Amino acid sequence: MKTVRLLDLGEVSPLRSQTVFHAVAYAMTPDTPDTILLVSPSAPYVCIGYHQDLEREVDLAYCREHNLPVYRREVGGGAVYLDNGQVFTQWIFHRDRLPASLEERFALYIRPLVATYRALGIDAYHRPINDIHVRGKKIGGTGAAQIGMAEVVVGSLMFTFDKRTMAQVLKVPSEKMRDKIYQSLEQYMTTMEEQLGYVPDREEVKALYIRHCEEALGVRVVPGEWTEAEEAMARELDDRFTSEEWLFQKGRLRPPVVKIHEDVYVVEAAHKVPGGLIRVVARLREGHIDDISISGDFTVLPAFAVAAMEQAVRGLRATQEALLTRLRDVYRSMNVQSPGVTAEDFVTAIVMATSSHSQ
Amino acid sequence: MIYYGCDIPEHLYYDVERDVWIRFEEDGTAVLGMTDPAQTRCGKLVAVRFKRPGKVVRQGRALATIESGKWVGPFPAPFTCEIVETNEAAFTRDILLANKDPYGEGWLVRVRPLQLESERDHLVTGEEAVQRYMARIEANNIRCFRCVE
Repeated sequence: MKTVRLLDLGEVSPLRSQTVFHAVAYAMTPDTPDTILLVSPSAPYVCIGYHQDLEREVDLAYCREHNLPVYRREVGGGAVYLDNGQVFTQWIFHRDRLPASLEERFALYIRPLVATYRALGIDAYHRPINDIHVRGKKIGGTGAAQIGMAEVVVGSLMFTFDKRTMAQVLKVPSEKMRDKIYQSLEQYMTTMEEQLGYVPDREEVKALYIRHCEEALGVRVVPGEWTEAEEAMARELDDRFTSEEWLFQKGRLRPPVVKIHEDVYVVEAAHKVPGGLIRVVARLREGHIDDISISGDFTVLPAFAVAAMEQAVRGLRATQEALLTRLRDVYRSMNVQSPGVTAEDFVTAIVMATSSHSQ
Repeated sequence: MIYYGCDIPEHLYYDVERDVWIRFEEDGTAVLGMTDPAQTRCGKLVAVRFKRPGKVVRQGRALATIESGKWVGPFPAPFTCEIVETNEAAFTRDILLANKDPYGEGWLVRVRPLQLESERDHLVTGEEAVQRYMARIEANNIRCFRCVE
C-alpha cells in the first residue's frame, strides 16, 4: 500500500506555522513523499492572502497595539486571524497525485475533515467548492496553491475561533461594517467548541483525522522526519516572510467586501449625491439582502423612513428594478421628503455595495 | 480545434506540461498566455502580479503569479527568457481577460527567448499539439468554459 508522510509538528511559532508548509513545498524533489502536515501556532497572529494589499486590508495599528504579527502566505483568499484554537491540516503533494480539477481536489481534501467532525457528532458537510458547513454555518475554509513543484491544499480543524478579534484586525471603512462583520461571523461561523459544548481532546481529533485521511486517499499515513533541507528552506522563508519588502508589496485593489462563507458576504459602498453622502453596509446571503444599514449625512423626513427603507429591502434579490419598486413604495406611502436625495440614489448606493462582491 | 469546449488553435506553439501557449513573432520575441484548459482549471482570476520588464526568468520559474477564487500559482516560463512587455494595463482594466479571450486580449507577457535552441524540444504545434491536448483533456476529464462578462 502506498504511504504518505505525516509531519505532526505540534505547536510552533506563528511564523513557522506558515513557513513550514511552504518549506516542504519548495524543498520538494521527485523523491519527496507526499506529506500531510499538522501544526498549530503557539500564539495568535494575522495571515493575509498572497495578493492582498496589507495596508488596505489589516488594521496595523490594532495589530501593533496587541502584539499581533502579520504574515503573507502564498495561498490566496483574505486576511484571517489565527490562533492556537486551530490545527492546520496542510497537504503538500506531487501534482499528479491529486485530482487535476480543483473541484475534485477540494472534495478529496475535505472528505477526511468532514468525516472527523461527523465522528465527533458534528453534523458537518462539504459545501462546494471549498467550504465545510454545519447547518449553514462555516466550520473552516480551505485554499489551494502551486508552490514550487508541489500542489498544496490547506485548511484547519477548528477547535475554537476568536470572532471578536477577527473582526477587529480587519481594516474596514466604518465601525458599522465592523459590527456587521462580527455579527455575521457570530451568525455564520462555528467551531467544535460551539457545536459540542466543550473542546475535544486535540490528540484524539488528530488521530481521527489521520485515520480518515488514510481512508479517503487509500494510503497508509506514516509519521516521518522533518528533513535538514526542509529546515534550511524554512529558515530562508522565515527571513523572507518577515521582510518589509515581502509584507508590504502592493496588492490588488478591491472594493470593501468581506467573505464570511461561500454564500455570505458583508459589503459596503458610499455614494455621493447632491443631498449628501449615502453609506450602505449590507449582508448578502445567496444573492439576497440578508441585512442592511443605510446611513449618511443626508436629510430624510420623516426620520424613521430610513428604517422603513431598510426593512423594505430586506430579503430582496439585489436588483435595480426590485429595489426601486420597493423604495418608491416607501416614498409614496410615507410621503418621504429627502432634499437632494432620491429613491434612485438609495438604489444606486445599494447596488454599488451589493455588486462589489462579484468583482 | 475545439475539443470538449477547449479551443486549441493549431497555429500556436504549446508547452503542454506547463499549460502555456506561445506565439513566435517576427522580431524574435514570443507572446505567451494561459491555454483554454489552464484558464478553465484556475477559474475566474482575481489577481495577477507580473514580474517587471527587463527581468530574466529561468525555464519553469514564474513570469507572473496568478490568483483565482480557489487557487494561486505561477505562470511558468516555457523557456529561459527576458520579459519585454506585460499585459498588466489591460488586466488592470479587466481582470477576467484570460478567462474571456485566452489567446487574444488575455495574453500575459511578451518575452525574448535567451536559449531557445536548447529549450524548445518540448514545444509542440499543429496536429501534434491537438493530439497531446486531446489526450490530456480526456485523462483529466476537462471541460472548458469561458467567461462572457
